Amino acid sequence: MRMRVLASVLMVALVAAAALLAWNQPAGAQGGGTIAGEVKVTGSAPAPKTVKVNKDTEVCGSEKKIADVAVGAGNGLVNAVVSVTDAKGAKAAKKPALDQKGCEFHPEVLVMAPGEVDILNSDGVLHNVHTFSTANPAINKAQPKFKKVMTEKFDKPEAIKIQCDAHSWMHGWIFVTESLAAVTDEKGSFKLENVPAGKHKVEVWHPVLGKQSKEVEVKPGQEARVSFELAAKK
Amino acid sequence: MVRPPGKFVQAILVLVVAFLIFEYGIRPPMPFSLLSLYLAITLMAVLVYVSSDSESWRAFVAPLWATLTEPGRRQLRLGLGVLLPLLVGYYAYSQAAAKAEAPVELRAIHPAPPTSISFRGKQIDLQATDTPVRKDIAANPANGAKHFAAGGALYVRNCLYCHGDNLDGQGHFAHGFNPAPADFTDPGTIAQLSEGFLFWRVAKGGPGLPKESTPWNSAMPAWEDRLTEEQIWQVIYYLYETTGAKPRVMDAGHAALPRPSREDGSASLLVRGGHLLRPRAAEAQPPADPGAGKALYEQKCALCHGASGKGDGPAAELLLPRPRDFTAGKYKIRSTASGQLPTDRDLFRVISEGMPGTSMPAWKMLPEKDRWALVAYLKDFAGAFKGAKPEAAKVPGEVASSEASIKRGKEMFEAIECNKCHGQAGRGDPAPGSDLKDDWGHPVWPANLHKPWTFRGGHERKDVAMRLSTGLMGSPMPTFLDSVEKPEDIWHLANYVRSLGPDRPNWASLLQVQAVTGEIPLDPNAEFWRKIPAANFPLVGQVIVDPRSFNPTIDMIDVRAVHTDTDVAFHLTWDDPTASEPGKGAPKPDMVALQFPTGAGEGERPYFLMGDGGKPVYLLTWRAGAGVGEATAAGIGKVTPQQGEAVQAKGQAVYDAGQYRAVIRRPVKTGDRADFAFPVGEFFPMAFWAWDGSEGDEGARAAVTSWYYVRLEAPASTRRFVIPPIAALVTVGLELGLSRWARRRRDRQGP
Repeated sequence: MRMRVLASVLMVALVAAAALLAWNQPAGAQGGGTIAGEVKVTGSAPAPKTVKVNKDTEVCGSEKKIADVAVGAGNGLVNAVVSVTDAKGAKAAKKPALDQKGCEFHPEVLVMAPGEVDILNSDGVLHNVHTFSTANPAINKAQPKFKKVMTEKFDKPEAIKIQCDAHSWMHGWIFVTESLAAVTDEKGSFKLENVPAGKHKVEVWHPVLGKQSKEVEVKPGQEARVSFELAAKK
Repeated sequence: MVRPPGKFVQAILVLVVAFLIFEYGIRPPMPFSLLSLYLAITLMAVLVYVSSDSESWRAFVAPLWATLTEPGRRQLRLGLGVLLPLLVGYYAYSQAAAKAEAPVELRAIHPAPPTSISFRGKQIDLQATDTPVRKDIAANPANGAKHFAAGGALYVRNCLYCHGDNLDGQGHFAHGFNPAPADFTDPGTIAQLSEGFLFWRVAKGGPGLPKESTPWNSAMPAWEDRLTEEQIWQVIYYLYETTGAKPRVMDAGHAALPRPSREDGSASLLVRGGHLLRPRAAEAQPPADPGAGKALYEQKCALCHGASGKGDGPAAELLLPRPRDFTAGKYKIRSTASGQLPTDRDLFRVISEGMPGTSMPAWKMLPEKDRWALVAYLKDFAGAFKGAKPEAAKVPGEVASSEASIKRGKEMFEAIECNKCHGQAGRGDPAPGSDLKDDWGHPVWPANLHKPWTFRGGHERKDVAMRLSTGLMGSPMPTFLDSVEKPEDIWHLANYVRSLGPDRPNWASLLQVQAVTGEIPLDPNAEFWRKIPAANFPLVGQVIVDPRSFNPTIDMIDVRAVHTDTDVAFHLTWDDPTASEPGKGAPKPDMVALQFPTGAGEGERPYFLMGDGGKPVYLLTWRAGAGVGEATAAGIGKVTPQQGEAVQAKGQAVYDAGQYRAVIRRPVKTGDRADFAFPVGEFFPMAFWAWDGSEGDEGARAAVTSWYYVRLEAPASTRRFVIPPIAALVTVGLELGLSRWARRRRDRQGP
């Protein structure tokens, strides 16, 4: 009889412990779940243009391939921004940086939280940072070869086009957002980690192909998959 | 007690005061001939006054007499004795060596008009009292706004380039023409004329003028080729309504329909609603209500900048740079940092000073209060201005221009790579294929730093330093305030940029062809040409014959010219941002042409646009890839190049850092009747053409000048070295005689 009581207590304790563990999981160090997936292009995207480089060829190379819609393997849309509009992004460990290297913006699409960004000139030739913003002040600042770093501030969420007039093919985007966001890779894949469990609105944005959003349910410790298809209009 | 000045001193004082009043007190300044006439009259009056009685005369002459005779004034006598002959000698030299000037041409400004003209096969009575447009408005006053808007749109798309936004004859092509385009605000123009007269002038243009008005000089197109009858009447209506002038009525006997006058003009505008047509006379009054800015804007700005401020008025698509889009809040000329809105004063400054080198005129003629009202209204277009308090950027302390500063500026120019857009030598020739665009996607050319008079925000050193500091928002020009090595480098750069070109060009009206000996070099870079002075001629777009050129890239040509007994040669320098030669990636070649009459050039001149069937022209040409040639033309597009043996002209051209230099040399006499036979010592007409192939220039699409004068100078005479000494010697002789006579007379009269 005593054994049975002990066993029961143990069982109850075990169940309670398990329940406690299970209940604790979402708030644990692992964070919530993950949202992963792909963004695909349907229809035929405009073919990339080849621009002949006519100056600074020693650093810029002799040719640039410019794709307004960059399509990767399996029709994956490269450089689209996927964001969880109702989840705040984690605070970045260090200041974001946008590099101008080989007369290209690296990354071509930079996602950052409102605040400061370091703009680097690794090329050692004149670049100019010309932004087309409306919420933030639109700037056009020269960055000569000796000016290696310029710090700029973009306080308000907005997708900002950035270009260099000295090298007419140089285009990039700074996507300022408070939300959790990621950029699609060369296959059009993305992965958003530490998404709190629950239902979320996930939005994809591309400068040419526009926006699309979907609702996704995230379960603790699990990966929720979602894919988007953006139509390329010719 | 101060002794009153003597009669002589009084007389001198009166003359000096009279001179100061004539020279500085009267605006506009009078010509020198009139000034000397007035001074002579003043002198006569003074002499009559001082010689009114013998006492006064003696008092007047006393100081002169004393100077001539008194032993104590020997020094002064000696000084004057040397100074006077020198002055006379110098005056004789300045007269003998006077610069040649183009001959003055007398022409009837308002010739007698015909009573009727044939317009596209229809007979139009120029003496009719009322124009169809006025009749329509009289019958239906609501149509006034329609005709006015149509006239305005036609005006800005056709007339603006020469006659100007302000109707004052100061359009951005005006400086290219002699005689200058008519100033409609001048009481001597349309206010003196009937609407029928204007119709005749607009429809038939320069070519339709009678001989006494030298039709060959006028660049006024015959608009009957382009505008309909109603359109011409609408433009005329617009001119009178906008200037507030009243057309003259030719036949007062007819019962005149009511027409707007200076008084009832403002009453009729109420009928028209949106359009406030305040005549000039009323402009001195301050705006009466807060809507004044809006009304002024609609009257003065909307035709280019658009009623909604988007920079999309009827004139916009033909203008480059485009009129500003006020809704974006992006302004080029600012004292504020990149990304900031301009201050009110920045906006006020651009409205007041205009933007040199563009179609934006200076609106200084508007009262200050009106300009401030416009500033307030412009800010309403962009929401960003609401609550914003833009502040001027902190520009480093000024550094005076010096050789060291200019040198440092050049180093910085290279270090920060201004050449990327402005070209190696700063002539606004970016690397080929640079494809610079403004924020609205319209093509833009970087400033040619050798032509500061085209700098949009002004050419003073402080203006250049400010543009470098704050950039030109909406254009590719960035701010360099924090992007130079040391803050003061901004000033070194400004000093360097300003060392590249003069404040303004030295527009010439006459090309003097110097006499030289020996062989004239064909190499445009030969040292020989550096010693020959250059004459600058402005080129403007050909906007008369299709295809028209509204924004030519070539705006000036520098010409040096020499001749020997056997040859005549022209050295041409012009800036072209791109070299284009067929076969080297360019679809069309760059070209230049010198235009002369044919034969001996006597009698009337050919039409300035390559002549016509009755009077052809002779052309000396250079063409990229083809070199120098000769041609005759009987109008645009009717050019016949000479072939083979007939081509006796030779020459070369080089292109370097945004600039062409070319030499075209030809025997003075060719024996070809179609060629121009350059006479020595006579004035003859010459005009210039230039085509920028990469901009699509070809045929009628070109930059052009009206006729200028050229003269082959006779070998320099020694006159200017002989006459002055003779004049000085004669003066010395007269002085000696005078002083001897005076002393003898004194001796006779006793001390």
